[in-house]
Amino acid sequence: MSLAIQTEVKEAPETPAEIAALEPKVSVRRLNFYYGAYRALADNNVELYKNKVTAFIGPSGCGKSTLLRILNRIYDLYPNQRAEGEVLLDGENILNPKQDVNLLRAKVGMVFQKPTPFPMTIYDNIAFGVRLYEQLPKSELDARVEDSLRRGALWDEVKDKLDASGLSLSGGQQQRLCIARTVAIRPEVILLDEPCSALDPISTAKIEELIDVLKQDYTIAIVTHNMQQAARTSDFTAFMYLGELVEFDETTKIFTNPRQQRTQDYITGRFG
Amino acid sequence: MDKQHEHIVRSYEEELLLLNNKIAKMGGLAEQVLGQSIEALERRDPELAAATISEDEAIDALEREIEEQTVAMIARRQPMAYDLRQIMAALRIANDLERIGDLGKNIAKRAVAVVSEQQPKQLMLGLKHMGELALGQLKEVLDAFIERDADRALKVWYKDEEIDAMYNSLFRELLTYMMEDPRNIGLCTHLLFGAKNIERIGDHATNIAENVYYLVHGTAITDQRPKGDTTSSTPVALKRSAG
Repeated sequence: MSLAIQTEVKEAPETPAEIAALEPKVSVRRLNFYYGAYRALADNNVELYKNKVTAFIGPSGCGKSTLLRILNRIYDLYPNQRAEGEVLLDGENILNPKQDVNLLRAKVGMVFQKPTPFPMTIYDNIAFGVRLYEQLPKSELDARVEDSLRRGALWDEVKDKLDASGLSLSGGQQQRLCIARTVAIRPEVILLDEPCSALDPISTAKIEELIDVLKQDYTIAIVTHNMQQAARTSDFTAFMYLGELVEFDETTKIFTNPRQQRTQDYITGRFG
Repeated sequence: MDKQHEHIVRSYEEELLLLNNKIAKMGGLAEQVLGQSIEALERRDPELAAATISEDEAIDALEREIEEQTVAMIARRQPMAYDLRQIMAALRIANDLERIGDLGKNIAKRAVAVVSEQQPKQLMLGLKHMGELALGQLKEVLDAFIERDADRALKVWYKDEEIDAMYNSLFRELLTYMMEDPRNIGLCTHLLFGAKNIERIGDHATNIAENVYYLVHGTAITDQRPKGDTTSSTPVALKRSAG
């Protein structure tokens, strides 16, 4: 008749065995990020597991997009931004100045909030990136374009108008075009920064279905403001607040029984 | 986790409060039905029994209301974490309370059936005692729900063993009476069903305790509760007189 046994279950921050057994594709270690003097990320530690979807949630300005931008070093394009710590991709620190950034971006693709098709044909939108990295004969390039558009769940809708402008597509189609473009260069990790925020529910559902399919081949990180989307699409969820990584756990756990009060307040819409 | 902060959306907060109040109201009615049904049986009061039977309708109506509200809240609010657990717990607890109401009603019906029977005092005493224990468990677990007190719920959960033990002994006692004099069989059968109903009510109280625990901690009670009701495997040894 002991009453003590159950009450201790709550405090168990160690990683459960089934998570520990997963293979990390990306490991973020003690990561700090600065916009000039402003520290936007403070000592972040997180893993992106192979073939899993990891969602990053948190209020605006908490550092989710910043974290994503570090993973393929997009921030390099801007002056006065710097990262400290380690981001290991398959064990290699990509923050190393010797890292070939172009090669990194071929491995770690990114899709942004607003669809960003190039002002060229649908075909060339896909082929453009491929041509940068590979010299393929026409027939192989055609096959790559078709395969990518299929993976982007867009092929059936555009196969008869590959010469049309990418900008002529609807918003949802444009976003899938961007995903297809990312997939075309055969990345290993795909970063999605609020990919559905400008899309209607049907297009959103198509992207979510796509995420589900793509995770069989890729490791995916998604930033979203939509709690339900994070709950639906991801295997793991990280909650960030003011540049800190407050809680990281299995998605089911985060949305049914988070450990931290701040996580709970945020996902249930309470004043914290 | 500390005390919950308030929702930014006030109407959400109000809906959860309303849900909570409905459970409390339903719980109060279930207590009343159970208390009165035992009293009606003990006093062999058909009028009280009839009143009790009709009160169960209010419990059923509340259960339907709670069911509708929780479904609407899931659709509209898409609850997460503690909110999700509050809504799930409310739905399940309402279900248990409805069952408790039904079982109470069933006891009241038996009170009507045994009105004309002679009742040995001590038999009634055992049943009354068991009923009081179940009523106490129900009150305690409802308070635990209102207070969001998982430890209190856990105590209720463990204490169900006592009801089971009492049911076992009452079961044997009633068997003895029936064997002693076949004229007791009618009454004793009703009392036996009454006792079984009370034992079931105890089980529903432990279900509620489990839900309160889940609501507070987000995990199920992991301990094994000793299963106390052994009557289903109790052999009935009928003495046959020789010749």
